Amino acid sequence: MPSANPPGAPTTGYPWPIETTRLANGLRVVVSEDHAAPVVAVNLWYDVGSRHEPDGQTGFAHLFEHLMFEGSVHVAKTEHMKLIQGSGGSLNATTNPDRTNYFETVPAEHLELALWLEADRMGGLVPALTQETLDNQREVVKNERRQRYENVPYGDAWLRLLPLLYPAGHPYHHSTIGSMEDLNAADLATFQAFHTTYYRPNNAVLTVVGDTTAAEVFALAEKYFGTIERGEIPPAPESALPGGLTEPAREVVRSEVPAPRLYLSHRTAPFGTRDYDVVTVLAGILGSGRGSRLYRRLVDEARLAQPDNIGAYGVDLAYAPAPVIISATAKDGVDADALEAGLTAVLAELAAGDITDDEIDRAKALLTTQWWRQVSTAGGRSDLLGRYATQLGDPARIGGQLPSWLSVTADELRASAAALLSAQSRVTLVYLPATEAAESEENDK
Amino acid sequence: MTLVSERPGTGAPRPYTFPRIVRRDIAGGRVIAAHLPGQALSVATLLLDGGAGHEPAGREGLASVVAKALEEGTASRDATAYALALEGLGAELSTSADWDTFMVGTSAPAHLLPRALELVAEAARTPALRPADVERVRDDEVTGLKMDWASPGPRADAALRADLFGAGERYGRPLHGDPASVAAVTVDDVTAFHRSWLTRPGVLVVVGDLDVLDLDALAATAFAGTVPSEIETTGPLDVPIADTRKIILVDRPGSVQSTLRLGHRAPHRAHPDYVPMTLTGTVLGGAFTSRLNHLIREVRGYTYGIRGDFGLARRFGRLLISAGVQTKFTAPALVDTIGETSRTQSGGVTEDELAVARSWRAGQLSVEMQTPGAIAGALATLVVHGLPDDYYPRLRESLLSATVDEVSAAAAAHLHPRGLTMVVEGDAAVIRDDLVATGLGEVVDG
Repeated sequence: MPSANPPGAPTTGYPWPIETTRLANGLRVVVSEDHAAPVVAVNLWYDVGSRHEPDGQTGFAHLFEHLMFEGSVHVAKTEHMKLIQGSGGSLNATTNPDRTNYFETVPAEHLELALWLEADRMGGLVPALTQETLDNQREVVKNERRQRYENVPYGDAWLRLLPLLYPAGHPYHHSTIGSMEDLNAADLATFQAFHTTYYRPNNAVLTVVGDTTAAEVFALAEKYFGTIERGEIPPAPESALPGGLTEPAREVVRSEVPAPRLYLSHRTAPFGTRDYDVVTVLAGILGSGRGSRLYRRLVDEARLAQPDNIGAYGVDLAYAPAPVIISATAKDGVDADALEAGLTAVLAELAAGDITDDEIDRAKALLTTQWWRQVSTAGGRSDLLGRYATQLGDPARIGGQLPSWLSVTADELRASAAALLSAQSRVTLVYLPATEAAESEENDK
Repeated sequence: MTLVSERPGTGAPRPYTFPRIVRRDIAGGRVIAAHLPGQALSVATLLLDGGAGHEPAGREGLASVVAKALEEGTASRDATAYALALEGLGAELSTSADWDTFMVGTSAPAHLLPRALELVAEAARTPALRPADVERVRDDEVTGLKMDWASPGPRADAALRADLFGAGERYGRPLHGDPASVAAVTVDDVTAFHRSWLTRPGVLVVVGDLDVLDLDALAATAFAGTVPSEIETTGPLDVPIADTRKIILVDRPGSVQSTLRLGHRAPHRAHPDYVPMTLTGTVLGGAFTSRLNHLIREVRGYTYGIRGDFGLARRFGRLLISAGVQTKFTAPALVDTIGETSRTQSGGVTEDELAVARSWRAGQLSVEMQTPGAIAGALATLVVHGLPDDYYPRLRESLLSATVDEVSAAAAAHLHPRGLTMVVEGDAAVIRDDLVATGLGEVVDG
């Protein structure tokens, strides 16, 4: 019998040590030693994302992330980047609906520099924040919006899917990039208050992975972060939702796109739950690789979809049922209706319980490789440890992720597909080329 | 609350080491391997002399079609059976063609690598290449290119390349071709390209825990059935530089940003000035802290990011500066870009900037080379450019010891702000007059 679990398969997905402590001010510190490469990764997860943004302030958490690179009390404007790059390091930060993370990987002898920089902007950003910096970074973010969402075909799909998936007022209803109107209205006092409220040690997890020791990191964390005051963190906006939609939702977009494309989506379960682990395997069966159900049915057999733009994946959101997104682009001469019929037929097959053991083993094998690739760098490991500590309360949960995927059963997958993939709970987003849409409208008349 | 005000000093530096390299001739081919003890994943890549440089005129993109066609089944199994066999191991076929090489390989847990490499070799050496499949793959590739070309960038890239290298030359055409050149590819082109370039042994790159991996067995798999043959090598191209600047305007009606692609030709990768050129590029536009990104993103707010650097292949190189800028700031962004390039060429770099550039490039040799995939890429560089085993430690030393005078001399010699071709892909009706008014160069339609 084929199996993705040959003898010797690991019982943990994290064969490295994990040590944790908590400073008196509430900062959680996670350390994972590994001396294989002469580098350290420093990673901070702040438990604040676009889900915390009130009406009229969409895009603020992300714009704020940009401001964190523009200097703090002891770090001059532009010096942060210069110091990290001047030490040989790589750095970045990202914001999503759930959280904001900041991270750098540096040669190990620069660990203390990285911690000092992170502490200075956690404890001392507000005095350095100026109107000039805000105005400049607002323009940078608006350019980011143009470049990534507005100026590319299908670039706004995610912005359109969110409001279809999550009701008005829900923290996931609006996108992290925000609206141009809200960004234009952003004022300095709001950002000062944002930092004072959320950028507190008791709202963050500091993770260090690599060529160091837990004792060294704990001592340095105390030295640099220990004096930063804890704060009262307001409760996050209510985000609980039942699993799926009860009514289907649909949007048709006519725009300058080269071919019809469909996005189908369902709300599933929050990241971190067993149900979501099952969904992750299900998405792999459906949409990962050339052996996936979607590829075989719609590319190889029916020839409806382009081979390069087909797939299914879950978006790992933790505070409400996370979406699974299925997308495909029509081949030349195939219309959107035919493609949609093909896609929905594949989903119906899965929902009816048609899943084979070979497909399950294939999906698990691909997930296994993907997992080991993700933890092959110090930076990748540190970000995952920060995630499990922040969202699931314990970084050691990281070790159970791969075994949990590998233990998913056929019965669980069939139950999940039946419960989640119904037409009744589906969001459908259709892109039609502007010219083709015009033609079909004429035909309607 | 008191934060520590004094910036901490540097801790004890760790010695730099590149993983141990093994080179062996086995089973009629050559193997280069690096030992990464304890890594769960391993990589095996077949490096073949079958890059886009070998494609016939009018068939640009042929190598990419061959790469895709390898996955359409082999002499012993059909496409679906092949995909299921490989993906059942958790592995996927990774193929790519650049100017110099054709690569086909995979990544898998070490105990599964021998089986995965058997499947890689099966696809590379004995693909079925059934005519109907090849034609479908070609048509899909045309569609894929049309999709790519609907986004900003590819048209501007093509216009720049044609201007720098000549539209009639292979290097003056897009690396992966364009929709028309790929549409012209025939089944015979594909089978002939495969026969000429993919049936020679090539070089097998292996990275992973060599205590577990058996190089003799892996090489026997990779080189089975191949016929050794000599490969002619051709020398680097000259580096002609235009004597005037020009602006090529590529119309993209309604665009909210203008896509900038500026460049001129440069020496090839193995040129003795590689290190000072790299550092020049880093100061000008190769890092977030570069002159271009600082001025045009951080001071002006015209862009989400601008990058500029030397891109160097085996036979040629070029300077390339890329950005997407807000439509109404297209002209001032160009003026600033020319200004910073000219300033760097004429005035060189400062010690302060060079200190950051040196340490960053040197540190990246550790920071960005943690994974088997990254190390495999580094080994491929050694093979393609004929570099020695101790190349990376020596490169690190050269980077760290480069002086302001050396780097400024490279800036003076290898930057040519007066010979830049400036391609602007944007809303021509909105930006044309502004571009003409800059006086930076003649505006021509691309």
